[in-house]
Amino acid sequence: MFSKIQFHLAKVFLKIFLRDRQSIIFSLFFPFVFMGAFSFTGGEVDPFNIGLVNNSTSIVAKNFSELISSDSLFNVTKGNEKDLRSGLINGEQSAVIIIPKDFQLNSISGDLRLLLDKSQIRQLRSIKESLGQSLLSIERELRGVEPMFVLQTEDVKARSLRYVDFLLPGILAFMIMNLSIAGSGYNIVEYRRRGILKRLFVTPIQPKDFIISIVLARLLIVIMQISVTLSFAIFFIDVKILGSFLSLYIMIILGSSIFLCLGFCLGSIAKTQESVRAVGGLVTFPQLFLSGVFFPISSMPEIIQPIIHILPLTVVVKGMRGIANDGLSFADMNIVLIGIVAWLVISFVLATKLFVWKKVAN
Amino acid sequence: MSIIKVKNLVKTYRLPEKIEGSFNAVDGVSFSIERGEIYGILGPNGAGKTTTLEMLEGLNDIDAGAAYIDGLSVMDEPYKVKKIIGVQLQANEYFDGLTLGELIILFGNLYQVKVIPDKLLERVNLLDKLHAKPADLSGGQNQRFSIACALVNDPKILFLDEPTTGLDPQAKRNLWNLVLELNRSEMTIVLTTHNMEEAETLCHRIGIMDKGKLIAEDTPQNLITQYASDPPVAPLHGNIEDVFLALTGHGLRD
Repeated sequence: MFSKIQFHLAKVFLKIFLRDRQSIIFSLFFPFVFMGAFSFTGGEVDPFNIGLVNNSTSIVAKNFSELISSDSLFNVTKGNEKDLRSGLINGEQSAVIIIPKDFQLNSISGDLRLLLDKSQIRQLRSIKESLGQSLLSIERELRGVEPMFVLQTEDVKARSLRYVDFLLPGILAFMIMNLSIAGSGYNIVEYRRRGILKRLFVTPIQPKDFIISIVLARLLIVIMQISVTLSFAIFFIDVKILGSFLSLYIMIILGSSIFLCLGFCLGSIAKTQESVRAVGGLVTFPQLFLSGVFFPISSMPEIIQPIIHILPLTVVVKGMRGIANDGLSFADMNIVLIGIVAWLVISFVLATKLFVWKKVAN
Repeated sequence: MSIIKVKNLVKTYRLPEKIEGSFNAVDGVSFSIERGEIYGILGPNGAGKTTTLEMLEGLNDIDAGAAYIDGLSVMDEPYKVKKIIGVQLQANEYFDGLTLGELIILFGNLYQVKVIPDKLLERVNLLDKLHAKPADLSGGQNQRFSIACALVNDPKILFLDEPTTGLDPQAKRNLWNLVLELNRSEMTIVLTTHNMEEAETLCHRIGIMDKGKLIAEDTPQNLITQYASDPPVAPLHGNIEDVFLALTGHGLRD
């Protein structure tokens, strides 16, 4: 199936990559840092630092203060208003709650005061909501009223999915895209700039031999890099892969092939190293945010969702996540499979049309 | 017998500043080169020397005319031609991270021939650099190495594009000796240069190109007697540089 020259050239590309330690480390740096960071927090929001000034001696004030302090959402510092106010200004506190002297359940004058830095809009809602909840609980307790509704959360798929489990397939898909596009697109432009393609072109090597050997070498590189990341996730962060590893690796090879072909297209169109990076960034960067690597696609604006669903990275992310998180096989993922095949055909046809030896080499 | 035959070779480029305009970088060039000859294409920058070579090497399309190498049409059988020629380009960079020995083996594989790197590197006097990388080589060593790469398929014809540009006098002499030595084994060598001394000492015949046309072609000696005798004040001291300037004018070229 493969000729001797293709194997030899693939071996050469592999050797070049393995000797370039810097790029090996760099390509692993990003996924490791991300997974590492998210595995510690478990994907949950860090508690807010809030200050509490209690000017009252009433029972209600005491209860309220205890309830707030025991809430895992808050990290409470008690103190006087002056100190905490300056703490709020220099960023040590996100908010300061002030309990007035005459804090009583039935008194209208006993309003709580909340000091805020309004630029922290992201936290504002959570803090307000949680404070409202605490007040409601105290009120119920003091009046002896049982809550009418209790919310119980339960995962429909009956699995214990942490954020890092959700994140891993997305990160792997993103790695596949980056490694593949860099391997074909960026390398081709670099080889052309330095006249290496021209030098190869005056030898009897055929363009298909060159393309096949790059694809072979890159597939191996992607598989190696993914395996390192995957092993790290499984052994150190205890990420569970529910589907079969065979399906996962087939998915990796298919995804990698799509992006290698797209890389050949980029490398053939872009003439300089700067332009290939710009065009490459244009292709990869929006997909990083849109294709559901970090968040479910359903959290994206409704209006762009139809476009998001047909992006190549979206298709690969869905496939990877289906196998890793939901334990699906290819037979269960018809739509994803159609997307993968469609992108394979489109990118392959485009790549063979655009990659013309004489034009690319010169 | 001619090993290279070129008839009315034309390369047309479109002028970037005009939509309709075009110019011929190579404009109807014809010449033939004998087996075992060292043939020099001499000319100022932009004369069309490199384009002419690139058309023979299959790197550039032939827009009109024809070129035959060892009886093969360059247009119709480019891959057969590539197998019997060796090429050294002006830019000679290689993949990073590979040693000279590994690169030689790589080039051997591209031609599907077995090569012994030691022997080839010894031929260009670089045996001690077997495990070095191209980035560690000096200018002269780099040129010799790129000639070694061009020799992996034991070519019938060797194309050298400005092989001594940028070399110091020692390295230049050293490379000339290498070219003469290769030629002794009946290898035909075609080189471009704008170094007069090189053309004069190395080449059996010279073709002078200017503005895409071949304006003179003969042995260095004949060219000197024909053109350099003018001005008559110093006929005995005339050299190829006088010929060159007499033919292409004294204006600056960029």
